[in-house]
Amino acid sequence: MRGNAVVVGVGESTYYNRGGATESEFQLACIAIRNAVADAGLSIGDVNGFVSYMERNEPVRLSAALGTGDLDFTAQTFGGGGNGAGAAVTIADAAITARYADCVVVFRSLAQGQFHRYGQAGRAHRSRGAGAFTVPYGLSTPAQICAMQTMRYMHDHGVTQDSLAEVVLASYAHAQRNPRAIRYGTSLTREEYHASRWIAEPLHLYDCCPENDGAAAMVLTTPERARDLRKPPVAIVAGAHGVEHRDGVAGFGEDNFPTAHHRHVGRTLWARAGVRPSDMKVAQFYENFTGPVLMAIAEMGFCAPEELNDFVADGNIQWPNGRLPINTSGGNLGEAYIHGFGNLIEAVRQVRGESTCQVDGVELSLSVSGPGYAPGSAVMFGKA
Amino acid sequence: MGALPLDWGLPELTPVNQAWFTSGALAIQRCSSCSTLQHPPEEICHACGAMDFGVEVLAPRGTVHSFTVVRYPANPALADAVPYTVVLVSLDDAPHLRVVGNIEGDVQIGMPVVPYWEDRTAADGTVIRLPSWRCVRTSNDGRGL
Repeated sequence: MRGNAVVVGVGESTYYNRGGATESEFQLACIAIRNAVADAGLSIGDVNGFVSYMERNEPVRLSAALGTGDLDFTAQTFGGGGNGAGAAVTIADAAITARYADCVVVFRSLAQGQFHRYGQAGRAHRSRGAGAFTVPYGLSTPAQICAMQTMRYMHDHGVTQDSLAEVVLASYAHAQRNPRAIRYGTSLTREEYHASRWIAEPLHLYDCCPENDGAAAMVLTTPERARDLRKPPVAIVAGAHGVEHRDGVAGFGEDNFPTAHHRHVGRTLWARAGVRPSDMKVAQFYENFTGPVLMAIAEMGFCAPEELNDFVADGNIQWPNGRLPINTSGGNLGEAYIHGFGNLIEAVRQVRGESTCQVDGVELSLSVSGPGYAPGSAVMFGKA
Repeated sequence: MGALPLDWGLPELTPVNQAWFTSGALAIQRCSSCSTLQHPPEEICHACGAMDFGVEVLAPRGTVHSFTVVRYPANPALADAVPYTVVLVSLDDAPHLRVVGNIEGDVQIGMPVVPYWEDRTAADGTVIRLPSWRCVRTSNDGRGL
């Protein structure tokens, strides 16, 4: 099954550390969207749809401020995290394929310096719902929850702390070539990783996504409209957005605990794309925390859990010599944490040949979003 | 090891969670129609869709399924509480049911644990009996109950 929509533009604001943005979050969103539309060679008046996830900058306000056309489609996904990043692309693809709109902006803007910080626990005097069973014990943040998953996963499959480090080291190494990256010019050694403070064992500081301010966007349209635009279109070869029955159920009650919730996404994506993991030369894996990245690599079918240590060791996930370079822009850890949107843009850039860690001969380019949260999502981009 | 503030995140009682948080026992939600046990309790039975429940008290024994030692205080009110350990306990009578709690001392996956209950009084005077966990005494490790 081949999606009908194509990506014709990508763009972002300047990326900042938390609190460093000189623009408001809404202004950052407008800047990223304008840049993506300009990259496409379209006019802002061509835009007639918006899709996002966990977004507070609403389409009507954006449309009025930017001067889009009449809006034909707007949507957001369910789910409390970056698991919605790839999902947003699949929703826009579905809208365009169904002809509800023909020029849809998918975007995310996130200025943690201007709103609440992720990873903090509210001063909860009362906990409700499923949280009533965890919050009283001091278990509420994503880092703590993913630490609980990762601890068991390492125990079950012999995954080492050094393998967690490899994910971080790859992102930092790749960020050294990307001038957009917040960690550009800031290297990290294995020793510095191991010496960094614990957040929630087995997660060190560097295992956790940073807090940033910024926005990023891409423009999707129909293949017909894409023909005379500025750059060659990038196809959405396949998308997957879902979860295996009961994965992600409250209270760590999955039969398969711990899971990144990506087994079903993986099976679905490969079947729709008609290719196998071994066909991939590059991939982007959303890094909320390193443990879920490793779990997602295995659940997406790249290796068995017991093979993860070898899969990521010896530079195997680093550009230029690794067999599967991941997070080639620096990813969430090295480029910027814009809730995983940068992973999507980098996957598009790898198809275009525009990455600062460009892999040779990329025909297919994978982005996997939001491991550890459900429903998960993934998108396969490719040459149109 | 510190202790969490006594009023930290106390559960809001509902008909669905009342037994678990007030009985001082591992009072697990049991479907009145199909007898399925489920935890955390839900408003509908995941097995048969019924909406009427009783409880079944399980034996006070469990096994550590996973854990994390929290060292970063995610709220200033927790600054004196860190480090603290959160365990995910699999209940021996129903190993597919998992319960979150705190524990003191060194923890390992697979370690046997038993529950105890700590009483907390909510702002409205309600007494909450919060289950937590401790290591089981063995003949040679010197750790006491």
